[in-house]
Amino acid sequence: MGSRTASKDIITLRGSAAIVCEFFGYAANSILYNRGIYPEESFVKVKKYGLPMLLTQDEGVKSFLAGLTSQLTGTHLKVLCLFDLPSYPFHLNASQEWMEAGKLQRVVLVIMSRTTMEVLERWNFSIQTDAEVVEKGLIKEKSDKEIMREIQAIMRQIASSITYLPCLDEPCVFDVLAYTDMDVAIPFSWIESDAKLIENPQMVKLHSFDTKIHKVDTLVSYKNDEQD
Amino acid sequence: MILRTPVPKKRRPESVVEDLHSPVSDRRLVRYEEPGPITAVEPSDEMVCTYHCRQMVKSEFMAALNNAEKQVAEYQAKLELMNNELTQSEDERTKFRDSILSLEQKLEASKGREQALQERLLKEVDEFMERYKEQVKQCSELEVQLSKEVDSRKKAELSFTSAKERATDLEGRLQRLSDSAEREKNIIKEERQHLQDDSKLSARKMTADVCFLERMTLRAEISERESELLKKQLNGLRKQLDECLCEKNALEQKLATYPIPLQESTSSEDKNLVKYLQEQIRGYEAEVQEARKFKAFHTNSELLKEKLIEEKGRREKVEVELSKLQDVQLSAQKLELELVSWKSLLEELPDVSSLSDIPKKFAALQKEAIQNMMEVSELKAQLKQLEVALELGENKRQHYEKESCLEKQRANNAALEAKRLQMMLSSVTEERDRLKKEAAMLSKLKNSHESGPPNETLVKDLESSLADRENTIKELQTNLHEQQGVVNHLHDELKILSEQLSSEARRVKSLEREGDRLRAEISLLESKLGHGDYSAANTKVLRMVNTLAVDNETKHTIDSLREELKKTQSKLQAIEELKGQSDAANIIDDGIPEKLAQLKSQIATLEKREERYKAVFAEKISIFRRACCLLFGYKVRLNCRRCLSVPLGHEMSFVSFNRTIGFALNREDPFAANRVKDDEGAALDLATTRGLDPSLVLNDHPKNTCECCATMAEASELMDEAEAMEEPPSMMR
Repeated sequence: MGSRTASKDIITLRGSAAIVCEFFGYAANSILYNRGIYPEESFVKVKKYGLPMLLTQDEGVKSFLAGLTSQLTGTHLKVLCLFDLPSYPFHLNASQEWMEAGKLQRVVLVIMSRTTMEVLERWNFSIQTDAEVVEKGLIKEKSDKEIMREIQAIMRQIASSITYLPCLDEPCVFDVLAYTDMDVAIPFSWIESDAKLIENPQMVKLHSFDTKIHKVDTLVSYKNDEQD
Repeated sequence: MILRTPVPKKRRPESVVEDLHSPVSDRRLVRYEEPGPITAVEPSDEMVCTYHCRQMVKSEFMAALNNAEKQVAEYQAKLELMNNELTQSEDERTKFRDSILSLEQKLEASKGREQALQERLLKEVDEFMERYKEQVKQCSELEVQLSKEVDSRKKAELSFTSAKERATDLEGRLQRLSDSAEREKNIIKEERQHLQDDSKLSARKMTADVCFLERMTLRAEISERESELLKKQLNGLRKQLDECLCEKNALEQKLATYPIPLQESTSSEDKNLVKYLQEQIRGYEAEVQEARKFKAFHTNSELLKEKLIEEKGRREKVEVELSKLQDVQLSAQKLELELVSWKSLLEELPDVSSLSDIPKKFAALQKEAIQNMMEVSELKAQLKQLEVALELGENKRQHYEKESCLEKQRANNAALEAKRLQMMLSSVTEERDRLKKEAAMLSKLKNSHESGPPNETLVKDLESSLADRENTIKELQTNLHEQQGVVNHLHDELKILSEQLSSEARRVKSLEREGDRLRAEISLLESKLGHGDYSAANTKVLRMVNTLAVDNETKHTIDSLREELKKTQSKLQAIEELKGQSDAANIIDDGIPEKLAQLKSQIATLEKREERYKAVFAEKISIFRRACCLLFGYKVRLNCRRCLSVPLGHEMSFVSFNRTIGFALNREDPFAANRVKDDEGAALDLATTRGLDPSLVLNDHPKNTCECCATMAEASELMDEAEAMEEPPSMMR
């Protein structure tokens, strides 16, 4: 996916967007597994980024994440919605390439209590896009190995986050928020929402990775245990 | 010692000269010229003449000889002294020569050292000049940076003052906001109090109504009991009346059959009997009137019951309103909480005068946050630059400190060297003076003794060397002065550098403080960024609707929407068919779709209402059936054999009444008929008051099966139960 040549390590905007969305998909799965949002037996081990990564087999979650990543990349595939109504009006024109248009600022994975819907954790993925590349369609060069190494470091940090994050003793649900520019047309399956913030959170900054076109910073903020 | 010399023979004057040239004589001695008598003594004939003369001459000669010997001895002693002095002077001369040589060596060494010192000093001076130039450049650069820092500081102070002013403005606005919020809060409190008062009043009214109702119920119960008693009495009286009427009829019949002559004998009895009967009739009439009164009272009791029902309905309404009041109170509490939250938000947010300003303020704050972030990034860059400059300054400071220490050491060494040179100079001058004195003494001796020329050359050499030494000493003194001047200059430079170092240190501290402050600001802003804050003017937060938790619910809602859609589509088709069948094709109405929509909505509401009414009716009818059965002697049975035509093709259960009458009555019995009519009228009234369809209530079934009905007390109890069971249908709301 994406126009990356192995010989010269050239990266285009589309390729970089694909890398970032792929990373987000795996990162979301890793978070869901490590935080125990879904049972362990619903995950399958695959090899990615030189690490054993876990992917959910829950059809609902899979379709949700697939729809999410398709919206983020803006690939004009059939959006795998949770309800399949042929007469339902899909505004595919509105689902512009958020990532490829440089309109996506942040993606936040929010973990909430199922009963009280209180926000317990926020996994914040900030995205900085090179405006020059978006405007002029330039091509950058960066080694794939370097990018994979950076992503690998982040994945390791996500896996090791259970050492300092508080235990989630109650059943939880997750949701995904997308911070976009104001001029983005809202697709049909998306609505405006509040930021679902945590009061007086504890924050831990993780590593970041850079494709020379998109720079992704990872930060996790969680509810302070002492407040309880 | 007197040297006895032989009598001098008549020597020739040449022999005296030979004597002088003899090896014994020392040429070094001063030529001694005897006086004439010794050399000029020539034996003359006159002396030979006499011995006395010879003896006299001899004595004179001897005396002269003795004198000469004495003089020689003296001269020899003097010569020895002179020789000694000469040796001494030679020794001294050698010593002086050695000392001069050593001095020359020392001088040469000192010259070499001086040259080396000079070269080194020149080098150092050159280096110091270069460093001085560099330091001057750095000072100029630092001054430029200082001016920039001062400018930035002034800007910061200006921004600080502007921020202070803004803060004061914001505080004023905040106070105004807080005042307005307090006012609103007070208004809301007052309203709440009003509401509470109203609710209390209504509650009191309700309690009063409830008490009144209870009293009325008690009265109704009492009146019911009285009515029951009266009814019993009425029934008894009716029975008695019937009996009396029967007896009367019998008596009349008897009277009609009795003969006339007997009438005169029995007239008094008849009169008495008539009187008695009239009295009974009056009594019965009175009782009938009382019964009628009781009946009226009963009707009044029924009216009271109806009123009771109405009051109960009102009570229920009041209870509903009470529950609504509780909801209102909850909503008021929520509003208060919201107000408190808004107030806190207003307190947190400056420059906000009303709720509508909050989004604008949020946008402005987010813009400010973004600007602050940009400023923070710029400040970060400046901080890094300052840190780099700080490190450079510290390195330079350390370097300068080291150089200053080295220069101090060099200055100390130069001072020590100068002191040493001064001491050397003083020693050399002392030696020079001493040598001068000795030279003077030697020259004096030279002048007195007129010795050989080699001593003069030595003295001249000494003098020349002394003059050279003096020159060198002068040069050394000048160099020493110069070096002292250089050392003083270096000391001054050291002072200036130390002052610069202290100022740089102060600047470094201020930069460190600013760096800490900027780091704190950066951490604050980073925390805000990590917290998830965003600018509403540039950013919006979206989430997918199809969350996993709502999956099934959406499916259900979608299915229900589908069904509704199908229904509406079918209705639309039906309407369109109707429309096609009517003459609406000739009439072009532009508002048909709107009318259709209105009709559809009306249909939907009516259908809902119908369903609600059905549910309510089903409840009410069951209660009504029982009440009717008990009160009026009608038992309602559901008969599903017959179906009525109802719109939409729904089947409805057929309601029939089985008349149950507690005592034997004929249809022709006017009273029974009246009773039945009254019962039917009461049932009708009851049905109408309860909102039931009267046609459904009265559907006379030809069966005249009689069944026992409960007493009035049981009927009243059942009525109470029915009223207690009555609840306004939820659909009716």
